[in-house]
Amino acid sequence: MDAVHDMGGMHGFGPVVVEGSEEVFHEDWEARVFAIYQLINLCQLVGGPGGRAVRESMDPVHYLEASYYERWLWSAERRLEAKGTVMPAEVEAMMAQLAGGRVAPTAEDRELAAQAVAQLREGPPALGIAVNPRFTPGDRIRVRRMRPDGHTRCPRYVRGAVGVVERVQGSDLLPDRATYGLPTQPEPVYAVAFVSQDLWGTSDDPPWTVLVDLFDTYLEPA
Amino acid sequence: MSDAQDHNEDLHHQRPASPIELRARALEAVLAEKGLVSTDAIDAVIELYENDVGPQNGAKVVARAWVDSAYRERLLANGAAAIAELGYGGEEGNTMVVVPNGPGVHNAVVCTLCSCYPWPVLGLPPSWYKSAPYRARMVAEPRAVLREFGLELPPETTIRVWDSTAEVRYLVLPERPSGTDGWAEEALAALVTRDAMIGVAVPRAERASA
Repeated sequence: MDAVHDMGGMHGFGPVVVEGSEEVFHEDWEARVFAIYQLINLCQLVGGPGGRAVRESMDPVHYLEASYYERWLWSAERRLEAKGTVMPAEVEAMMAQLAGGRVAPTAEDRELAAQAVAQLREGPPALGIAVNPRFTPGDRIRVRRMRPDGHTRCPRYVRGAVGVVERVQGSDLLPDRATYGLPTQPEPVYAVAFVSQDLWGTSDDPPWTVLVDLFDTYLEPA
Repeated sequence: MSDAQDHNEDLHHQRPASPIELRARALEAVLAEKGLVSTDAIDAVIELYENDVGPQNGAKVVARAWVDSAYRERLLANGAAAIAELGYGGEEGNTMVVVPNGPGVHNAVVCTLCSCYPWPVLGLPPSWYKSAPYRARMVAEPRAVLREFGLELPPETTIRVWDSTAEVRYLVLPERPSGTDGWAEEALAALVTRDAMIGVAVPRAERASA
């Protein structure tokens, strides 16, 4: 999706280092949204496309105005709604009750608490091994031109550019399809090295290298 | 939030400060009322990432690589497996590539599309890492960004910026600072900052002696 989340190379956002930018969580609710997000995935309470695809479909103004965990909250609600687990009207009714002074209900489930920590410590399996990858380190490739209307991991700034395969990272399902539950086979993922001039033209700075992890589908020989 | 119990008391009895906080509290309350996500599970996940999982883990990995050349080799050959030797791994860190800085080579990590970050070794990302300016500029003007962090690299240094667009997560292995010969592994780990492992800083020996 060629939306505002695809930020590489954009202008106008100002400096990086600003006051308060060191914080992981600025407020308690952000930490709780982070944890809720992990847990609704773990408990399989969500439906529809994956969280990134959902956040990328936000209205661009909303995306830019929302804080990071506000986006997570928004996508958590959309994904809960997609499975029919929690509807927006239920959240809004609870908001009114809490604002009216109701003490928030709590729940205890020690087993879930232990299971959540264990699963986060374990994580998903590593990438598979790429069998007979189409490209090998040193190969020159060109990133295909495209304008996908769904989720993709091919950022705009490398499309059409020529780069050199640096590493074969492994094999994985193409997120462009997998996030929507569409059938897809594992394919190689490559770290592709681009010289800065090939992405951005000339610069007053000495050239640098940008390495991008790209799925086989995105590439053609150059 | 050092005390999860106090935190809970605050959360469930104080009036919310903002509409978005109210919305977050309401979602948590609905999930609890339905018996779908428990309050103690939320507390446990927060506790994990506030206390157990953080850049102190990555610092130990880096220090080990500085003192043990065989470990360094394993770390560069298979990041996740070598990191698991020290007991770290899990969500957002089971496929790890460790990129070594060296004479004239400096690596840095970004995620232009999202905010991908190696949680088991660095914890959750700071705000600036997730911010539009960093995501937009790190690939397109890395020297200007590094300068904002106070890092001025010689013009002949090759900068390599890794954009974590797929499921691989990156850790920068900084160069061991000069003047640290004979230092114990623990003292070395104290020099390794989160920013140095993202690649927006380099470790310096004076940090610890100061």
